[in-house]
Amino acid sequence: MAQLNLQHLDKIYDNKVQAVFDFNMDVADGELIVLVGPSGCGKSTTLRMVAGLEDISRGHLLLDGKDITQAPAKDRDMAMVFQNYALYGHMTIYENMAFSLTLRKENPNVIHKKVLAAAEILGLTSQLNKKPSQLSGGQRQRVAMGRSIVRNPKVFLFDEPLSNLDAKLRGATRREILLLHKRLQATMLYVTHDQTEALTLADRIVCMSMGHVQQIGTPLELYDTPANLFVAGFIGLPPMNFYDVRFEDGMLKGQGFKVPLTDEEKYTLSGYNGKEITLGVRPEDVSAGGDIQTRVFSNENLGMNTLVHGYMGDNLRVTAKLRGWTDYRNGDVVSLQFGRKHFFDKETTNAIRKEK
Amino acid sequence: MTQAMDDRQIRLDRMRYIKNTSSSRLCYLAILLNVLYFISIYKSDVGNWYYQILVGGSIVYNLLFLLMAFLASEGVKSYQINYSYLLYALGVLQVVRIFILPMQAHSATVVVNGVETVVMGNAQFIRCVIYLAGSAACLIIAGIINQQKSIALNKHLASLGTGKEAA
Repeated sequence: MAQLNLQHLDKIYDNKVQAVFDFNMDVADGELIVLVGPSGCGKSTTLRMVAGLEDISRGHLLLDGKDITQAPAKDRDMAMVFQNYALYGHMTIYENMAFSLTLRKENPNVIHKKVLAAAEILGLTSQLNKKPSQLSGGQRQRVAMGRSIVRNPKVFLFDEPLSNLDAKLRGATRREILLLHKRLQATMLYVTHDQTEALTLADRIVCMSMGHVQQIGTPLELYDTPANLFVAGFIGLPPMNFYDVRFEDGMLKGQGFKVPLTDEEKYTLSGYNGKEITLGVRPEDVSAGGDIQTRVFSNENLGMNTLVHGYMGDNLRVTAKLRGWTDYRNGDVVSLQFGRKHFFDKETTNAIRKEK
Repeated sequence: MTQAMDDRQIRLDRMRYIKNTSSSRLCYLAILLNVLYFISIYKSDVGNWYYQILVGGSIVYNLLFLLMAFLASEGVKSYQINYSYLLYALGVLQVVRIFILPMQAHSATVVVNGVETVVMGNAQFIRCVIYLAGSAACLIIAGIINQQKSIALNKHLASLGTGKEAA
């Protein structure tokens, strides 16, 4: 398989709009990288630049050390799977999977072996004589993946492949992609706006916003130690609660509420005494008990957990993911406490870390 | 199993997923030749009633022929052996046609404006015979190819222990 180096990639369109700013990244052989971010953040544009479907305005793209910045898409030895499958409706599944190799005028017997092998991996052997319209969305996406597999490319590129599937099928196909990655040990770049896909699939996640890379790291790093407010708010479901607070007298004082801090947290904020910062608390780090009085306005039972939405302090929204099944009613007052806290500089929005 | 297949087996196995385009294309060629024949016979319309009846019959037959040939061209794509028999029949009928319209028109004369005129000249006769013979050859060859492939595929499927439906 392949190593991929994206060096200072910029994408500037003809109308001078810049979609991607200074994208830097080294993708190791066999790594699955997920580019995640909201719509319009430049993740698909980056993928298309790698695929050769968009020109690279500035920077260099290296595949196994070879500069392929200017190479046409067909010479890059990469295969792309699209959101809308892009299958030929008049061809059978076998013909769809064999198509790219047929165009290359490969030996038909070799094509046959490759198609059967890919179909076996993807569990499509019994579907080979069918037309795409006879398959479900998940099966069609597997065909699209199969079409990539038969080419045996150096890099697989996925552009939101699960977006057209319903929630159940998305979960199943996601697991299939993960198994496929383990089986092929292929280098993969995967674009999604779904953070669940990103967290479950990725070896490393690239979180993007407004064309800028916000953070690159393992799923746990992004979840546990987000680099800034954007990443903290984007990764995690339900999203993190944010509050403007002042660090004073060894505690955080917000609008109508106070949060005591541990010695370690005080040490982390030692440079911010008397200053305003942003406090972030994940809903799963909010628990019952403590002295933050919250007026409940919504109680969503999810089975194992309950999402409790309410107002605390001076009408500040708080979401708590409480264990078990609770039956709070609109207007009930519950006492909550914050567990793990995240601190962000109010000006830079960067995370405040303990100085080592 | 896949790796153990030799080239011949792979060729056979491919037929499970690849259509029989060679037979199908030969059918299309036969149809094209028939259409060319059909166009060329009109050139000889000299107003003779006997000839007009033949042409009328030929039009009806041509419609049937086109229908059958198109049907067969689709049938042979999926290696259905019965369509080989249909192709043989159509091929034989094309040969028989040579002895009806072109042959009889070629040997017939009519009087036009007091002058004895040949209904079909030599050049046109040869052209018509070539079209019909070519069409017949295409149909029969398509039938033979389809029959052979169909038998081979059935044997292969039997060796795999699967029916044609699974293919």
